[in-house]
Amino acid sequence: MAAQMTEDQTLLKDAAERYLRDSYDFNERRERIAAGHYSDPTQWQAFADMGWLALPIDEDLGGLGLGAREMAILAELCGQFLVTEPLIEAMAVSHAILGNSAQKESLLVQVAEGTLIPVAAIDEAGEAARLSPTTQLTEDSGQWRLTGSKQWISAGASATHLAVLANSATGLAWVLVSVDAEGVSREIYPTHDGRGGASFKFDVTLDNAQIIATGEIAQDALTAYRELAMVLSSAETLGATQAALDTTVDYTKQRIQFGQPLASFQALQHRMSNMLIQTELTRSLVYAACDAADDGHADRGRFARAAKVKAATVGRKVSQEAIQLHGGIATTDEYIVGHFFKRITALESWVCSKGEALKEFMALPAAQH
Amino acid sequence: MNASNPIPTDYETFREGVRAFLKDALSPELVRAGERTTSVFSDFEAGRKWQSILHAKGWGAPEWPIEHGGTGWDIQQRYIFLEECKLANAPNPVMMGIQMLGPMLIHFGTEAQKQQFLPGIISGDDVWCQGYSEPGSGSDLASLKTTAERDGDEYVVNGTKIWTSMAHHSNWIFCLVRTDKEVKPQAGISFLLIDMATPGITVAPFPSLDGEVEQCQVFFENVRVPVTNLLGEENQGWTVAKYLLEFERGGQHFTIELKKQLSKLHRLMTSETNRAKDDPTYAYRVAETEIDVMALEQTELRIKGSLSAGDNPGALSSLVKVSGTELGQRCAELLIEAAGQSAIPWQSEVLSPEYTGETAAPAECVTTMAEYINSRATTIYGGTAEIQRGIIAKHVLGL
Ligand SMILES: Cc1cc2nc3c(=O)[nH]c(=O)nc-3n(C[C@H](O)[C@H](O)[C@H](O)COP(=O)(O)OP(=O)(O)OC[C@H]3O[C@@H](n4cnc5c(N)ncnc54)[C@H](O)[C@@H]3O)c2cc1C
Repeated sequence: MAAQMTEDQTLLKDAAERYLRDSYDFNERRERIAAGHYSDPTQWQAFADMGWLALPIDEDLGGLGLGAREMAILAELCGQFLVTEPLIEAMAVSHAILGNSAQKESLLVQVAEGTLIPVAAIDEAGEAARLSPTTQLTEDSGQWRLTGSKQWISAGASATHLAVLANSATGLAWVLVSVDAEGVSREIYPTHDGRGGASFKFDVTLDNAQIIATGEIAQDALTAYRELAMVLSSAETLGATQAALDTTVDYTKQRIQFGQPLASFQALQHRMSNMLIQTELTRSLVYAACDAADDGHADRGRFARAAKVKAATVGRKVSQEAIQLHGGIATTDEYIVGHFFKRITALESWVCSKGEALKEFMALPAAQH
Repeated sequence: MNASNPIPTDYETFREGVRAFLKDALSPELVRAGERTTSVFSDFEAGRKWQSILHAKGWGAPEWPIEHGGTGWDIQQRYIFLEECKLANAPNPVMMGIQMLGPMLIHFGTEAQKQQFLPGIISGDDVWCQGYSEPGSGSDLASLKTTAERDGDEYVVNGTKIWTSMAHHSNWIFCLVRTDKEVKPQAGISFLLIDMATPGITVAPFPSLDGEVEQCQVFFENVRVPVTNLLGEENQGWTVAKYLLEFERGGQHFTIELKKQLSKLHRLMTSETNRAKDDPTYAYRVAETEIDVMALEQTELRIKGSLSAGDNPGALSSLVKVSGTELGQRCAELLIEAAGQSAIPWQSEVLSPEYTGETAAPAECVTTMAEYINSRATTIYGGTAEIQRGIIAKHVLGL
């Protein structure tokens, strides 16, 4: 089923897909990750050169001024090609958070050029701290200080800068710190999805310029970031889900058991039909959530959460089925299909879990028409 | 009460005895190996050490008949023993010898074979792996192509086996090989016991999806095996193998492991770190899973109660295998939901029983993702869930 896209969107998708197909080899990726390189600087530079990093940035700030729909096109391809560079992280942070900074011009130029790789740091140990962080932004005779810690930051290994969510005297605050700054310590660890995570500790003095937003603006930025991240993670999940399905269909056509291709067994055909049905339903919701976000639709929050819940549910089921229908070959790390499963599992709880999204969905009434 | 056992067994005293032994015998390293087990295999050395300790105690193979080193325990005692081992976090020894080959040898082996092989299995000195599957023959096992041609008093084996778990740690392999190409596939297969040190055998390990190495491909090039290593008659290998597969499927006590998973889930339900505690359906799903585990437990008891030791549960073992493995997968899903991002770190070194340092994931989550990944394989190995359902359709429903 074709998705409806504008001509520009089709061009973007085709070019990006062609690039990743030619230049993002699964085996090279495996070797790179095994060597502890969770992202590849030459890839990131290529993403910048193709304009992907400028895509979510407003035109008057030197970007391309595109929206969630275009970001989702890239996110979907990230899922399909198992991109480990923090593209959805960087897009969501630059679109939803950095634009609030007084220094936005210079920051966003660096993002677009690929020299500043921003990742949001929200999670802390302990559930209660998740949206009301214990990390503190304090002021002492005109000197700002950030103290606290953040944990399990996906792609934390690849970030050059963190947008840190903290609490301050005036409520929430977003602060931008370099991972190399004095007073920032970073513990990197490998992850099952190959992205490389990190946990951070901060005791840093800050310039005014590093404080991106406080109070109500920071709260709104948090909402915008979470909703965009939900949409983009749903899109990436969708891409990985579709790829898991495609790989399964291809494999079952080739694999012969009992003298015939696996794909000729009706028991398996029906399973693959279900996988397709659910993937298409997810696709509709993900694209609708993009459009709702881009149109500023009153129900955009509901759509973001609906997409997140649907993609998490379907991604899990389809990637599990993909492994089952492959049999033993899917359980080796040398074969691609299990990597979709691992990435989908990691995305399931990234920024917000399915349960949290469900609960938030239930709390948001549908807009009146 | 059992007629041959007129004095009622005092199971509580038995349980206490097992507990006291475990408390004494399990070192902190062995317990860590048990805790950090993410598949059916624990750390290899720890599992091997534990087998030698059990053997020294006379508990090396409780399921075997007493004359071959079994304990003479009744079903209930064997269950209690396994349950206590699990609760005490004893590591799992490599079980292909004890759980799979042992019953075959006892059933089909010659006296000489039993004397040659059973002692090494029960002591853990010999480590056996299972060479059935091949690249082209998984579910359709009968299509296997590894050949054994008779040459005097020897067979000459050529071909390859894949997914051979633990082959890189094994010194023996039991294999299905083709000895007759002219007859219908099942009728031309034999069961061979092969010393892995024989010239012509190459073992190539490869990583599983969780990043650990348990699987291997094994290559045979003109490997000479004495005909005395044939188990059962020539071309009767399929009958031997079928008996073994049913043991493999039914021989596990799924509910012991499942109840352990449930108690983890219950602990998590009230934990501050539970990422799923705001999910309104989570507690319901845990409760429903618990009810399904109860149903499986009663089914296991119903089936096992009607069998005496050493009997073969037949096609009903497929029912238990499908339910047990799929329930295990549900528990693993619930655990990963509760762990969220904290389960995503992958630190291979942490799984070693020697490791006592810090972990990127919280202690209760270090194995969660690997367990979730490996739970997916449980409906693939030992005959896939689809093949099990096929067996039920054919042999139970008569379709
Ligand atoms: C972790 C692990 C450990 C293992 N350890 C061992 C070991 O120690 N020794 C050993 O010999 N083997 C081992 N195996 C191999 C295992 O037994 C095989 O993977 C299994 O039999 C399935 O075969 P396959 O992988 O070739 O899948 P296939 O047979 O190719 O099956 C692929 C899919 O098609 C389905 N399918 C096949 N035929 C039909 C049909 N007629 N109708 C409907 N669906 C069908 C299957 O159910 C499966 O979903 C292991 C496998 C794994 C994953």
